[in-house]
Amino acid sequence: MILSESTLGPAEKWFESRGWKPFEFQREVWLAYQAGESGLIHAATGTGKTLAAWWGPLLEYLDESNEIERTGARRRLRRSAAAPLRVLWITPLRALAGDTAEALSAPVAQLELPWTVETRTGDTTATSRSRQSKRLPTALVTTPESLSLLLSRQNASDQFADLRVVVVDEWHELMGTKRGVQTELALARLRGICPGLRTWGLSATIGNIGEARRTLLGRGSGTSRIVRGVEPKEIVVDSLIPPVIERFPWAGHLGTQMVPQVVEAIEEGETAIVFTNTRSQTEIWYQAILAQRPEWAGSIALHHGSLDRKTRDWVEEGLRTANLRCVVATSSLDLGVDFLPVDRVLQIGSPKGIARLTQRAGRSGHRPGAVSRVTCVPTHTLELLEVAAGRDGVEAGAIESRYPVTRPLDVLAQHIVTIAVGEGFVPSELLEEVRSTEAYADLPEDEWEWVLSFVSNGGEALKGYPEYSKVVTDTDGRWRVEDSTIARRHRMSIGTIVSDAHIAVQYLRGRRLGSVEESFIARLKQGDRFVFAGTPLEFVRVRDMVAWVRRAPNVTGAIPRWMGSRLPLSGELAAALRARLGEAAAGNFRGPEMEALRPIFDVQSRWSKIPGPDEFLIERVQTREGFHLYFFPFEGRLVHEGLAALFAWRISQIRPISFAMASNDYGFELLSPDEAPIEDALAAGLLDPSNLIDDIPASLNATEMARRQFREIARVAGLVFPGFPRSGKSARQLQASSGLFFDVFKRYDAGNMLLSQAHREVLERQLERTRLGHTLQRLSAARVVITNPKRTPPLAFPLLIDRTRDRVSSEKLSDRIKRMQRALERAAG
Amino acid sequence: MTGEYGGGIEIDLRGERITLLPERAAYWHGASTLLVADPHWGKAATFRASGIPVPSGTTRDALDRLTSAVNRTSATRVVFLGDLLHAKKGRSNDLFSALAAWRKENEAVDVVMVRGNHDRRAGDPPAELGFDCVDAPLPSGPFILAHHPTTDPAGYVIAGHVHPGIRLYGRGGERARLPCFFIGKETAILPAFGDFTGLADFEPAEGTTVYAVAEDRVIQV
Repeated sequence: MILSESTLGPAEKWFESRGWKPFEFQREVWLAYQAGESGLIHAATGTGKTLAAWWGPLLEYLDESNEIERTGARRRLRRSAAAPLRVLWITPLRALAGDTAEALSAPVAQLELPWTVETRTGDTTATSRSRQSKRLPTALVTTPESLSLLLSRQNASDQFADLRVVVVDEWHELMGTKRGVQTELALARLRGICPGLRTWGLSATIGNIGEARRTLLGRGSGTSRIVRGVEPKEIVVDSLIPPVIERFPWAGHLGTQMVPQVVEAIEEGETAIVFTNTRSQTEIWYQAILAQRPEWAGSIALHHGSLDRKTRDWVEEGLRTANLRCVVATSSLDLGVDFLPVDRVLQIGSPKGIARLTQRAGRSGHRPGAVSRVTCVPTHTLELLEVAAGRDGVEAGAIESRYPVTRPLDVLAQHIVTIAVGEGFVPSELLEEVRSTEAYADLPEDEWEWVLSFVSNGGEALKGYPEYSKVVTDTDGRWRVEDSTIARRHRMSIGTIVSDAHIAVQYLRGRRLGSVEESFIARLKQGDRFVFAGTPLEFVRVRDMVAWVRRAPNVTGAIPRWMGSRLPLSGELAAALRARLGEAAAGNFRGPEMEALRPIFDVQSRWSKIPGPDEFLIERVQTREGFHLYFFPFEGRLVHEGLAALFAWRISQIRPISFAMASNDYGFELLSPDEAPIEDALAAGLLDPSNLIDDIPASLNATEMARRQFREIARVAGLVFPGFPRSGKSARQLQASSGLFFDVFKRYDAGNMLLSQAHREVLERQLERTRLGHTLQRLSAARVVITNPKRTPPLAFPLLIDRTRDRVSSEKLSDRIKRMQRALERAAG
Repeated sequence: MTGEYGGGIEIDLRGERITLLPERAAYWHGASTLLVADPHWGKAATFRASGIPVPSGTTRDALDRLTSAVNRTSATRVVFLGDLLHAKKGRSNDLFSALAAWRKENEAVDVVMVRGNHDRRAGDPPAELGFDCVDAPLPSGPFILAHHPTTDPAGYVIAGHVHPGIRLYGRGGERARLPCFFIGKETAILPAFGDFTGLADFEPAEGTTVYAVAEDRVIQV
């Protein structure tokens, strides 16, 4: 193979035929690929990463086939079936697979290559599956789960024999999850099958891009590099300032007041995307905008990950052809191959992170040299502070990191069984392969031995479980799954790493609308109305994993709530926010957002204090409810939940006392019937960052949290099976909840390492122990300021509301809050 | 509440004294009868035989608990309200020898099993155990002993089948899920006796009093 620019000719020509010119970074990737290198390309969505990764293998093939042609073999090759599998393209979202395959097919068709490009995901039809089981396409676009399924075939080595490269798309999305670990393990297996295999990752820019490369490439990938894509356009972050600034703000109600301003902003351009943070917010805003501009019916649409593929295709096409003037969307439009540039981008609510803000801004301004602009719409007055901080973060380039998951034994157990179902393995060889991944590089011998025994004889400390065997050793010393029922059940449970079970929503006589979490549907009774995909629906019944609905005459009732909808403030944004508060404490209100917030800060400093950069504010307020302590570390909700539990526990060590707690992104509340000895607690080391390892589990009702965390572990490790379609009686006899497993293991096999994994995950993932530790270090170095306001000051007010909200019904709540606001407003004068 | 039944709660059902025991069983004083629902013996073994790792020990613990209840109450009769065995695959030798050992220890006790839905497929226990197996309903005094909780004009139904559980919330986000007794106007539902059985959360019918089993104590909720 000739390593020179001249081999790039076909690519240059193809780009030219489209009126484009390759970017320098694309050429760099093609040459590196030719040289046998692996790597990670990072840039914003829609800047040509896909073509950078795709043309490497295309050029390689053209180069090889030219040689073949010179030897007169090309005609034979053309006549035979398409080239065998060469490129695996991993995408995190099923929904993206189709788009990707389409984008990859374009040059293949134009060059008339004897290549097939197909997808394989959970949505692939049975016909395609059976065709693919005979022969895989030349390029296969698939998900981590479907890749694992391919590895569970008994002829996996043959199928991957000609594989040249694996491209992992949106690696930043996968990396921080167990699916990322699943991908790492699959990649290690593929490298074992095809030495010399190249891996290229595509990622958005993140704070720890070096770690992202190490995690993707593991320890067996040879030479590699990081390639930075095109520099981002200039980004402008601004906001819609509410006409009236409430001095006692609370989340969730301001939104609708902002609708007229949002509609005006949409009208400024021909096309607009309105981003929200959750799918239910998408439904709410779609309805609100339509109510404001009924004449927009038909030219406004919504887009989120739960909608049916066809609907989303229609929406994307509408944006591309500018037939839609506005799309209300979640991050489902953040990802994807096809860049859909629009004139105007709005962000409802705080983006909660700097990377997300940057990414969303990048959707606007499609003319070269144009600036990307995102306009933030606060749903809560204090969110203006987050916008100001977000702008600082964007300007400083303080992009968040994504932290990879390390050593999850549930994923390892699943992988081992997958290989045992497929070609089988010799433990020592598999261990070497597993340790070549970043996730398991430090896997201790005893954990490996435990997982092996967990999948073979039960993993109990001294003796195996009676009657149990899943993986057995065959006569050649290879470990295999021989029972076909167990193998089938395992195949069905691969791909259950994605969290909650979803259920399709479909008209009684008609099309599929999309899917929602089963837990939402489970709460509905026949005749209940809800809004989905922008349409009012009446729930009829659930049958065969489908929620059957009919159209309802008008919009009333619940908006489905999806899991994981409350994003915590990122560490980087939190730091920028504290800096802005520090300025405000010094009387510096820079920019329109801070200017607008002045009345709130005015009351805050009169009644209590605006914490300076080196201060930790604690407010002590007494109400009829009891004694409230408000703490303001400004570190994000997850850290605050951990701190709240830790502080409650540490204070109760001084004197027995019980607390009710509430947390948000700014701080947390501890409410007690008697006054808490806060000064004594501070003197006794309330903020001490040491002993966290002991104090956190003691404080956290940690067992209950671990029990909840065990849900995912039990599913991944193959203990429970979510939703077998039409499962028969015998399958039902094998159903038990993860909680039951947790209890039984705890009582009868306390050494089960999946239990310790659950505890570790609670500490590291849910409570961000490291961030908790850093926070305590910062707080213990800060000057503690305790104020004693007579009434609840503005910063504490949302916490008061959040706790109240959990207890009273929503109709009564808004009345109650209004009364509380009025009383406080009167007092503030 | 007397000392012998420490932790239990005595109630009146159709004029009969019934003690709800923390062993997750009910004792009917007038007939010296211990009522036990849903042991699901062999469930863990069924899982293991199907390639799902579940530790052993659940059966032994449950049998010890049963012995404790029999001894504490001096019951002369034990009536199982169905779902004695979980599934055919769980009919292991280990299980039957454990049951035989229990039988030997409790020779004098009459044992009756009212069949439940699982028993139809799992089959009756071996005849050597001397369990008297009958189809539901089994009328007994003012009561109809059955597996499925229904209503019956012929008497007050005592049944199992649903594995009732209840969620309790404490201060500061504490939560607990506990097995419980549902004592209704015409039907009583006992908690599942087996350890590896799980709980179902559901709303009790109107007029039902709920008693939860909190470790070694029964409490009215």
